Amino acid sequence: MKRGLITWDQARVPPSAFATRLDALNQLMERHAVPALAVYTDVWRSNDVRYVSNYMPYWNRAFAVVARAEKPVLLCSLSPRVYPWIKTVTIHETVVPSPSLPIQLLKLATDRGWSRLGILDFDGLPYDLHTQIRADRLEIVDIPRELARAAPDAAEIAMHRHAAAIAREALSGELLEAAIGMSEFSLIGRIERVVRRAGAEDLVAMVSDGRRGLRSATGESVGRNTSIMAAVEYSGHWAKVSRNVAGVISPPSSLERTGYMETLSGCYPWQPVQRQALPDAAVVALQVELDGGAGVRLFYGDTCLRHAGRTELL
Amino acid sequence: MMLNEPRHRQYLDLMHERGWERLLFYGDGWRKENFRCLLNRNFCGAQILGSLHRSGQVDVVVTDPSDLEYLGPSVNGRIELSLQPTLGLEQLLGQSQVRSIAINGMEHMPARLVRQVAEACGSVPVSATLEIEELRRIKTPQEIAWIRQAARLADRGYEYFVEVAQIGMSEFELVAEVESFVKANGAEDNFMLVASGGTEVTGMKPPTQRRFERGDSITTELTPQINGYYAQICRTLVMGEPNAQQRQAYAIFAEAQQAAQDLLRPGVDISDVARVQNDVFRAHGFGEYTGPQYTRVRGHNLGLYPDELPHVLENVHYICKPNMIVIAHPNTYLPLSGYMVFGDTLLVTEDGCVSLSNTPKKLFQT
Repeated sequence: MKRGLITWDQARVPPSAFATRLDALNQLMERHAVPALAVYTDVWRSNDVRYVSNYMPYWNRAFAVVARAEKPVLLCSLSPRVYPWIKTVTIHETVVPSPSLPIQLLKLATDRGWSRLGILDFDGLPYDLHTQIRADRLEIVDIPRELARAAPDAAEIAMHRHAAAIAREALSGELLEAAIGMSEFSLIGRIERVVRRAGAEDLVAMVSDGRRGLRSATGESVGRNTSIMAAVEYSGHWAKVSRNVAGVISPPSSLERTGYMETLSGCYPWQPVQRQALPDAAVVALQVELDGGAGVRLFYGDTCLRHAGRTELL
Repeated sequence: MMLNEPRHRQYLDLMHERGWERLLFYGDGWRKENFRCLLNRNFCGAQILGSLHRSGQVDVVVTDPSDLEYLGPSVNGRIELSLQPTLGLEQLLGQSQVRSIAINGMEHMPARLVRQVAEACGSVPVSATLEIEELRRIKTPQEIAWIRQAARLADRGYEYFVEVAQIGMSEFELVAEVESFVKANGAEDNFMLVASGGTEVTGMKPPTQRRFERGDSITTELTPQINGYYAQICRTLVMGEPNAQQRQAYAIFAEAQQAAQDLLRPGVDISDVARVQNDVFRAHGFGEYTGPQYTRVRGHNLGLYPDELPHVLENVHYICKPNMIVIAHPNTYLPLSGYMVFGDTLLVTEDGCVSLSNTPKKLFQT
């Protein structure tokens, strides 16, 4: 869960980045002849609204509604008591209390006289929201996600790069021979401390003992064959890095060629993706399982930018 | 092995009663409980699907290879990896002519997946979420044991919170320390909100870069998870000596929480558990601060999700039953002190309730 620092890193994502993104969304709305576009977010699917406005819920759900040539409005299920804080970490100037998101979205459309509304990946909405919205007379235009999010922009890449740097630093500083003998819980606790003090919003850590694959920690002792996968979120941008105590690495070419690939540019924090299905550009996590000898399984992986068939370590 | 056997039997009975041929369980990274109530192992993929047959067979489709290996031994049927949930669902539904399907977690399932189920079985599936939630509300002995462990860890986590908090430290640094502590001591996850400051503070949220000052109230709800199950504790810490208003506010919160704890037992309407807390505020002249402008809920259930229903609110009616786990927390804003929190995890017994929290009931100070 997102419970660390949620902030707006304006050095890496300046207001102009959002202005550029909103310009692109305006053009998209014009092409689809819709007066506004609604983008859904929740605790686990926060990448798209984070892109629009830097809003990422620590709890609950919301819609960011972008009307043409206007600043996005946030329809928010959280209590109004936290709206002043939301306004300090997002570009939203208007946050509308929305205990029922569909009702509030449809009311907004009525109030604004919209007969059509674009919804990003309408068919991907949670079923309860989808059903209530579809039952209304409002004409919904399902805007495919890839049209709005064709490729990560420079600001997003910088943020993923920073998240990857936090993850690498934590693993290189903690996944050492000195960790051998401590419990997996202790090791993950130490990694947690480093990444959160570095400003990470969230950490998901998986561990392998060298005999089995990656899994949640069980409290077993860390050994020479232990590997850790750390998924670190920095202000809504994820990175995944895997390292092992033995220090065995994979050459970049091998990682690129054979690594298991997940996109970090999708609507979820990470999603498996086939290389041939990848768009022209995406931030991806690559991971390989290495043969440590005598049946030992070691894991190594990193976060990269895939662009025009090339892979660059972030 | 990690198939929740008592629940498994309950789900089969429910299927039989309702005439459901198949019961699907859909989970994602936010609402894991809708899958874990079937197979209590953590998963790391973005989405996961389980399918319970009337025979008791459980099939699973995962979207992450790690889950395939980790969950595999716990599944008594097929387990498949599918990079696309739509293809995975197709595999789950197979060629069988199932006509009646219910889905636990249907509300959170992407609409395209629900439509796919509808097309496969020729009718819209029904949601099983509320009925399964009702079953899950009454905890099994094993589940209570895990929640007790989580409550003990919450106690230790709060003790550590008080130990490390100091003037000049930022909210997010404190959260980093406490999060590290609970993870190092076996928490699978932890839900935690904080706030700091004085009467200007109206609610808790994720930590900010604000640094603690003398006289601040630091509020937190700490919610560690053990084997999937959450326990929660809410306490307020004052940096330095509490002032008279902070002490006065705390006394009201303590009285309200105790009123809830004294009332909670089988047969009691949960709305009354809210009412007795609010009555304390009313009696002290602070009734207006029990409404939604200043507070969210007077408590909630706990289990595989840290904010389970029913919420403890005067307009929510639910008759309490033995072995429910409820946190009663009259958390709200008061002009005396700003936002303040106080609450314990309570187990409903046959004739009352017991607190699973052992942290002293007091206003903490550094």
